[in-house]
Amino acid sequence: MNITVTGADWNALAPLTIVAVTALVVLLADLLSPKNANRYVAIGIALAGVIAAAVDCAGAYGHDYAAFGGAFIVGGFSVVFQEIILICAVGSIVLYGTTGKAAQIPGAIALMLWSTCGAMLMAGAGSLMTIFLGLELLSLALYCLCGLSDRRTAREAAFKYLILSSTASGFLLYGMALLFGASGSVALADLVSPALASNPLLWVGGGMFLIGIAFKLSLVPFHTWSPDVYEGAPLPVTAFMSVATKAATLAVFARFIYAALPAGVDRRLLLPVWIVAAISMIAGNVGMLAQRDLKRLIAYSGIAQVGYILTALAGGTPLGLRYAIYYIAAYTFMNLGAFAVASLLSDDAEQGSTLANYRGLGHRRPVAAALMTFFLLAMAGLPPTAGFLGKILILSTSVDAGYAWLGGVLIVGTAISLYPYAKVIFAMYARDGHAHPHDVRPVAPLAWISAVACFVLVLLMTFYPLTPSNVLPLVR
Amino acid sequence: MLVLLLILVPIVAGLVMLMLRGENPVAFKAAGAIVAAATFAGALLVQSGGSECSFRWLSRPFESAFHFGATGVSIWLVLLLTVCTFCAVLATNVSRTRAFVAQLLLLEGTMLGLFLARDLLVFALFWDLMLLPVFFVLIGWGRHHSTAWRFFIYNFAGGLTLLLATAAFGVLYGSTDVIGREGVHLIGSWVPWIFAGFAFAFLVKTPVWPLHTWMPLTYADTPAPMVAVVSAVQSKAGLYGLIVIGMAFMPDYLRDATMLLVALGVISLLYGAFTALVQTDSKRVVAYSSLSHLGLILIAIVSFNPVALQGAVIYMVGHGLFSAALFLILGYVESREETRSLTRLGGLGAQNPRLAGALCIAALAALGLPGLAGFVGEIVILTGVFQAGWVWVVIVALIPIVLASAYMLRLYQGIMNGPEIADLPVRADLSWIEGFAVAPLVLALVLIGVNPHALTTFDPTLYSVAVATQGAGR
Repeated sequence: MNITVTGADWNALAPLTIVAVTALVVLLADLLSPKNANRYVAIGIALAGVIAAAVDCAGAYGHDYAAFGGAFIVGGFSVVFQEIILICAVGSIVLYGTTGKAAQIPGAIALMLWSTCGAMLMAGAGSLMTIFLGLELLSLALYCLCGLSDRRTAREAAFKYLILSSTASGFLLYGMALLFGASGSVALADLVSPALASNPLLWVGGGMFLIGIAFKLSLVPFHTWSPDVYEGAPLPVTAFMSVATKAATLAVFARFIYAALPAGVDRRLLLPVWIVAAISMIAGNVGMLAQRDLKRLIAYSGIAQVGYILTALAGGTPLGLRYAIYYIAAYTFMNLGAFAVASLLSDDAEQGSTLANYRGLGHRRPVAAALMTFFLLAMAGLPPTAGFLGKILILSTSVDAGYAWLGGVLIVGTAISLYPYAKVIFAMYARDGHAHPHDVRPVAPLAWISAVACFVLVLLMTFYPLTPSNVLPLVR
Repeated sequence: MLVLLLILVPIVAGLVMLMLRGENPVAFKAAGAIVAAATFAGALLVQSGGSECSFRWLSRPFESAFHFGATGVSIWLVLLLTVCTFCAVLATNVSRTRAFVAQLLLLEGTMLGLFLARDLLVFALFWDLMLLPVFFVLIGWGRHHSTAWRFFIYNFAGGLTLLLATAAFGVLYGSTDVIGREGVHLIGSWVPWIFAGFAFAFLVKTPVWPLHTWMPLTYADTPAPMVAVVSAVQSKAGLYGLIVIGMAFMPDYLRDATMLLVALGVISLLYGAFTALVQTDSKRVVAYSSLSHLGLILIAIVSFNPVALQGAVIYMVGHGLFSAALFLILGYVESREETRSLTRLGGLGAQNPRLAGALCIAALAALGLPGLAGFVGEIVILTGVFQAGWVWVVIVALIPIVLASAYMLRLYQGIMNGPEIADLPVRADLSWIEGFAVAPLVLALVLIGVNPHALTTFDPTLYSVAVATQGAGR
């Protein structure tokens, strides 16, 4: 197949190019700035680049275009996911402003930008090759980021992530190879052919592909890596991982199930995925019960939240996809907000994430505690937050699409999750006169802005449910 | 717009107050009282003029709107709520006044949202929201952490089933903008489950035996001003929901569940009364008496008799007034004597005639003395239930009414009569502001007691009045 590459193709890649080039500039700025200086210059450049990319990317909304012969597809779907990923990048880079000097290792921000680039590639990937390219770009940068800290746990996390994530990549790649064997093409568009529906290669390959995806989404039983890795990684990296990798992988998953499966295959092939999602909703929330660290708590919460998002996708309806995107956006803001508040509590961001640090916070720092409470309520799905509306939308779409049992599991999972979230709120407001551990107040205007912005967005999304209509994924 | 302001003003005032600094109890109480008085004035305006507003929220997967307006039943609960909040703010005498008054205002605003909601999804939203101030007060002011947890787990479990039922209702009917609308009837194989989801939430919140175990603990542990509002008004949220949602949209399923609900109501009625008889904690006496009284209202609602339903509305308001008054006065006693145990207390009446008088009136209203609102409610309910042909239920229901005299007099005697106890602190009698805080409740009890027609029209087709909109039905 001959592909003629035109200017429009390169144009489609412009946001990714901007991010990638910004990363180079940031790297240069890191080299030139003196050692142990604050990273505000690098942060500023990175933010400018990411925002420029976001603006450029938004221009493509509503202009569907399959670049490079369908390998990279621009349109409503990819734009929405890319914007979510870019917002997540902004939120995570901002957190670098509050981490201790020791954690501000030159190159970290550049790595995060490249990781962003990979995630954006995944959001627009229209062929198996681009999916894998994006995934590896995303993951390789993240392996380094996880280990970029002097703590032993960070190195352990990086190693664990490398090994387990590579295993998942192996599954994914092998699945892709079998899919290629079935269709003779790497393009997702070629998998739709009805002739493939009875081809065992497609079933086995699709199954392995989905196992790889489930691994990356940290669905039960492939979830054990995520709490350890989240805990060990530096706070900004955890914030990034908890949203961007999930959003990118969900984009791939949604494109795969909505657009790339031959009719008649999807329901049966995907049933195990929905079962896994149901188990994740229960297991993730049960796992939260015993956690003493905010990052681990959010890791387990994330396992369950992905289950909620998959519940929305279960019917395979356009409306379900819109609600899934709505929920991912809401989840992005609530997670980033929670991490921003955590980084406000301590000079060394790692301290800010132990739950012991939250005891009595409501009396020491009422505003920070109120913001944290709000984000926890959002994760628990209580009003007046976007989490509440998101759950309502997901419930109704699951009932509508005939997956009411998933809706029921969602309710049970939510009921379990109320206790661990409320436990943190409880610790913040209880009057049990314990000594206040570590009451440090870092000057972090950026993190404050980020936390307040997330608060406003999560609140507004409750009343203005933005569910973009032009988001059906395309393969061609 | 007026209804929207009515909801937003206390919420915004409460949030602002939470964010402020400083501890000036008098100033914050005054500010809170002004806000509460303003909402009461607003509620009166809504009652006389009617007011509605609606903003589109969702168009898919079902229609939903921020639609607010009073219905024939809810307007009385709104008035009750605003009066009770005003009294509770004035009676506040706990530490950290600013935060406490702020939570009271938040509770008022969220509950106004619940009662004024004309959309099921908005109803569900405010249902969860109204639980949060109580939870925060239990965390911040309660003595036992386990109480806060028990309240939280029971009530939010109810909130979640309500949520699922609301979502299913919306998908099935295509719109949740239905409260107070006529001719909405759900049919389908799903409906029993939807009804069960709503009913569970309502029965937990009311509460009804055997889902009541969170209630005595919560009522005992929450500071008096807030428990006055919770017991007076929040406990009515479930009954209100049963009328405007269960009875209006799913009457057939409510009828199917009649036997079960009547059984639960009768058990609550008897169990509450007998348990109240032996409690030593004075707040728990009132808590269990509430369980008993609310059981009677539940029976009245499921009897589907228009007279009984009239009685239910009167008794909801009457019970709200006297239970609020009782809790506020018991709060005064507790703040003076630093205990609320009936075995420790005694003989306060000699030194505190005004306090004794206030408790006496509230207790008499609770035991159903003619001339006060409680009596009217009880007699109308019993008449209606008798009309419905449930003679045995009426006979059984008379037992707890007799028992009410016993436990209320025991409460009064235990605190006010008997020899003065030497080691109890001697404090000043009711101050004028404390007296002023319960005066509106007592006044309303008498007013409704002698003129119940103010509340109802005794229209034989009340069943439709109950669910018809404010203005249209009246």
